[in-house]
Amino acid sequence: MTSDSLGDAAFDFPALLRRHGLLNEAGLSPTSNLPADATRFTPTQATTILAFKFTGGVLVAGDRRATAGNTVVYDRADKVLEIDRHSIMAIAGVPATAWEMARVLEHSLQFFRRTQLQEMSVDGKVRALSKLLRDNFGFVIQGIGVVVPIFATYDFSDDGQARLYFYDAMGAQFEVTDYAATGSGSPAVRGVLFYENRWGKKPLHKLSEQDAVTVALRALDTAAEADTATGGVDRTGRIFPIMKIISRDGIKTLPDKQIAARFKATVA
Amino acid sequence: MIEEPYRWVEAIANRREYIETQLAPGSPIAALSCRDGILFVTIGRARQKLFEIYDRIAMGAIGHPGDIERLRMAAIELASTEGFTRSAADVSLRRLAFYSLSPVLKSAFEQVYGAPYLARMIFAEVGSKPADDLFLRVEYDGAISASGAVADVQPPRFSAIGGTARGTELMEELLRRDHDPNCTLKTGLKVALDAWSVGSLAAQEEGVREMPPQEVLRQRRAEALRGATIEAGLLERAGTSAIRYRRITDAEVQGLTSG
Repeated sequence: MTSDSLGDAAFDFPALLRRHGLLNEAGLSPTSNLPADATRFTPTQATTILAFKFTGGVLVAGDRRATAGNTVVYDRADKVLEIDRHSIMAIAGVPATAWEMARVLEHSLQFFRRTQLQEMSVDGKVRALSKLLRDNFGFVIQGIGVVVPIFATYDFSDDGQARLYFYDAMGAQFEVTDYAATGSGSPAVRGVLFYENRWGKKPLHKLSEQDAVTVALRALDTAAEADTATGGVDRTGRIFPIMKIISRDGIKTLPDKQIAARFKATVA
Repeated sequence: MIEEPYRWVEAIANRREYIETQLAPGSPIAALSCRDGILFVTIGRARQKLFEIYDRIAMGAIGHPGDIERLRMAAIELASTEGFTRSAADVSLRRLAFYSLSPVLKSAFEQVYGAPYLARMIFAEVGSKPADDLFLRVEYDGAISASGAVADVQPPRFSAIGGTARGTELMEELLRRDHDPNCTLKTGLKVALDAWSVGSLAAQEEGVREMPPQEVLRQRRAEALRGATIEAGLLERAGTSAIRYRRITDAEVQGLTSG
């Protein structure tokens, strides 16, 4: 049963999990007493994700590849994860840690909403993810649990607007006005998005949904050209990136068919 | 004094009487299956009485706000931890009520030196069709009943709690008579409000003992709504999101009750 003492953060879901021994202590990992060079283990990595604002809200996209060293582990990984009705966390880095982190975050936000009978503020959500990253730092310095996410959400305060953030592995959050990309393919993606935003026919925030899909596909395909860890578009296997759009109405997952048609018409 | 068995029984009886007196003025709550999901309805002044517990589970409670809050938090914590460590599909109302809440309520009630929980609750879990819906009424002493179920008959698709035992009985009688589990939201809301009215009439001083005519129910509702508002929530049966509970807004209630 719950504690009766006031000031006990009863709405803090990670703290609740720790009380029950279901989550590691902050900043520690099970192997944290090992010297850093004792780990010769190569973790699975998920790679390139991107997000940018356009006329219809925020588009978040991720390729499907997961790798471990030079090996392709999986070609249908989902790195664009829905956290609540209006928030998405996209992940680059070690999926084992990232998916767990997304799970904790998703449950934390719902737990807060149910217990406190109000939605957590955007700043609160952004901080909650930051704290999870910070708690994970034990894994990061051992080189086996780095996660670098993008967080996108819709802010209903004032007139309402889409908000977009990226993080570093220690949990610092950076809000961006136009676009964000992380993961091994991100240098190329940032190049494409910077170019499109400045010299393209229209800046990113003025793109229609169709044009936004084209830009995202081209950016991921460019990244895949030089980075073996980025899947891009698998032309023979017909595996397309995952794309989701956040707007005032919630989250929309673009159907493969729409992406495929756009790919055929403007990218292939 | 309570070392003697007789004294203990007496102490328990006193405590039951005390709790019943405390609960008596509580505004009744009705929950029922309809085509779109499970509808929770009550009428109140300010305090929220209907709550989301987990993706497919909601509760309504009358009693002391502090006690309701402790039980509500415990239910959410249990469901959320289970949903996190296993999966949302492993969170079950039956387990929550029978294995977690009931034993705690019972021991708090019977330990006569401690304070009991002043709360009477309805829990409901929505299924993919009305026949899969589950309703449980949980009492302050840990007793759990599927409202008004008669042996050999499939359990009814509704539940009700009033401040008094007679109120609850009359609400169930009305729901057994008037409720159709495949009804629309509009019809469901109307029947639920009738149930509220009869529960409320029964709890008044010199309260009604027999089912009053429709006219009296309507009068009671109109009278109550002069100083209070309808609170309603819906556990949606179908939905793209895993989260099924939503509050029915005042505007929506207005639309459903007019005409």
